Amino acid sequence: MKGITRKFLRVNLSNGKIGEEAIPEQVETDFIGGRGFGIHYLYRELVPKSDPLGEHNKLIFVAGPLAGTTAQAVSRWMVYTKSPLTGALARSVSGADFGAWIKFAGYEFILVEGKAERPAYIHLTRDTCRIEPADELWGKDTAATQEWLTRRHGLNTRAACIGPGGENLVKYAAIVTHRRTASRCGVGAVMGSKNLKAIAINAERNLQLYDPEGFKKLVKQQIQTMMANKAFQYHREMGTTGNPENTSELGIFPTKNFRYGRLDDYEKITGDEYLKHRIGQFGCYSCAARCGKIHHVTKGLYAGAQSEGPEYESIWAFSGPIENSSLEATIAADQLCDDLGIDTISTGNTIGFAYELYEKGLLTKKDTDGLELKYGNHKAMVELVKKIARREGIGDLLAEGTMRVAEKIGKGAEAFAINAKGLELPAYEPRGSKSLGFNYATSNIGGSHSYGYATQEVLGASFPRRVDRFAEEENADIVIFNQNNVAVGEVGIACAFSRGWFPQVYDKLLIAATGIDKIAERGYLMHVGEKIVNLERAFIVREGFGRKQDTLPQRMLTEPLHTRGSPGEGQMIRNLDKFLDRYYELRGWTPEGIPSSEKLEELGLGYMTKDMAQYHHIKAT
Amino acid sequence: MSVRIEIPPLLRHHTNGVITAEVKGSTVGECLNSFAKQYPGTRKRLFDKNGKLLRYVEIYVNGETSYPKELARQVNDGDEISIVYLISGG
Ligand code: SF4
Repeated sequence: MKGITRKFLRVNLSNGKIGEEAIPEQVETDFIGGRGFGIHYLYRELVPKSDPLGEHNKLIFVAGPLAGTTAQAVSRWMVYTKSPLTGALARSVSGADFGAWIKFAGYEFILVEGKAERPAYIHLTRDTCRIEPADELWGKDTAATQEWLTRRHGLNTRAACIGPGGENLVKYAAIVTHRRTASRCGVGAVMGSKNLKAIAINAERNLQLYDPEGFKKLVKQQIQTMMANKAFQYHREMGTTGNPENTSELGIFPTKNFRYGRLDDYEKITGDEYLKHRIGQFGCYSCAARCGKIHHVTKGLYAGAQSEGPEYESIWAFSGPIENSSLEATIAADQLCDDLGIDTISTGNTIGFAYELYEKGLLTKKDTDGLELKYGNHKAMVELVKKIARREGIGDLLAEGTMRVAEKIGKGAEAFAINAKGLELPAYEPRGSKSLGFNYATSNIGGSHSYGYATQEVLGASFPRRVDRFAEEENADIVIFNQNNVAVGEVGIACAFSRGWFPQVYDKLLIAATGIDKIAERGYLMHVGEKIVNLERAFIVREGFGRKQDTLPQRMLTEPLHTRGSPGEGQMIRNLDKFLDRYYELRGWTPEGIPSSEKLEELGLGYMTKDMAQYHHIKAT
Repeated sequence: MSVRIEIPPLLRHHTNGVITAEVKGSTVGECLNSFAKQYPGTRKRLFDKNGKLLRYVEIYVNGETSYPKELARQVNDGDEISIVYLISGG
């Protein structure tokens, strides 16, 4: 007997019903927690082909099994839902304290369903849960919303909320807590569609661990390992701001809507330049890294702008796409995105796309409310961020994301839309970092780097082996390893930035927290990671995705990359089909990209064989 | 003493695409200096102005970190040195 019960909270906004449910022991063993629970419950509960912005979509806020403990860098949280941007799966990860607070309230996750008639927020304590009116909050930005909730419910309140972006159903709206965001795949729009402004939790530290004494010792070991780790020290010092220089020198910092591999003057946006604007730092619950670096602008056009960040992706989002090297403009745009509640990556990418449409004459000043979308014009970029979140003028169109904008404009615009499955590509050029590129193509959420980050290509890691970053089908095993391995880390929602301690204590911490002995079996965690990716695949297959959608933007397949002197000049994706054949074969999927019955059986997902069998006849077109 | 250096993607631009190098030295520092002599473009991506290893570079010898000894760490004939950049992605 494990002696602890893990449970979740179900809140139905349509009928006001609220109730706790226990997580069956078998589900715990099979999925452990975090991302495992997210996809297990979403797959089970969501009626296939539901409208992502309709009443039937479900929204799951998941904490990991280690959240709220004294263990370091494990209190992040994630959102699972069906994405309104892509129609596929949404998995979106965030930080700050909210994950710990979900656990303090007594739950592994909160499952929200239905739709409130009027703007509402959920107020949760250890003993009560109420759906409260949020008319007064509607229209407020994310900072003002959190301030209001803290004033109303006390300093011990932590909230995850949407801003105007989510209310206006911007297809890539974010959910924000403190100034950290679950930003990808439009999860904030799902919240907005349910008229749900926020979830506010009041709780104090209160956790049940399977083996508290053992856990304490392991945390000590974790901290010692972490402190002795040079990577941890550097991350603590710089956060991710050191990366632009690295990726520019690798020629993989996407520039001018993914035509070039670096800015001409990338020396202006290095970590050391950001350091000149740094005024403080912020960390997630129980994490000594405090990697959120706070930047402030003191003079010039953007004087007063201040942001926790920008981190690497946001630095890129507001520099590379429009070829901007003004840090001040980047900081201002980043701040606006967090306040208004929209994803920096999709916002920056979509703006870069709009600039190219303008260059090609597919958008004119008449369409852009008089804004001149010329590369380098950062003032227009900052204006567009506001317009998108408020769906004003051209912003209403751009709020739909690159895939839909291209469809609406036509005339060949899709050639410049840089997304995979509709999710805008992030800050790594797929032609110069091909395992990351093929990860974008095959990821079950679309163009996400974090779904299968290729440390081997970007940082030179040699585990599980060294790779040639320009190789293609030869690296299919690496793409699979990276995707499964990320899923392993996310059953405990361990932060991807702080992993020096990982091999030594991660599995032991999970066992001490949950009592699931099976985790100690050799290869079990990797098995669960693979199972999660397969279940996520099954989810999107059910939504109509298959081989045809496992692709990359036309530009990557037909145009050579220009790196402006960095390595990789002239690279393109040579043979996507050959890669997919090998990837599916190694995954144990059909040539159409559908998990085979044998693979499902092997992963203990045999109960889904019938579900998947109806798709096996589908042929790739 | 002959030691093999595995060259990470970031430095290959300075080594004409070469991915491993044989160097001589009895410490990590001697080996890296000999490597930087062979490929001068790599020096500023390994050492700071005072010749210290950059704060975002980690050296592994046969898969084990050389931190905190770093450049002073002894090496043996046939050892393999890997250079890893500690920059966080995101
Ligand atoms: S390393 Fe940074 S993002 Fe990760 S948990 Fe710590 S503070 Fe949060």
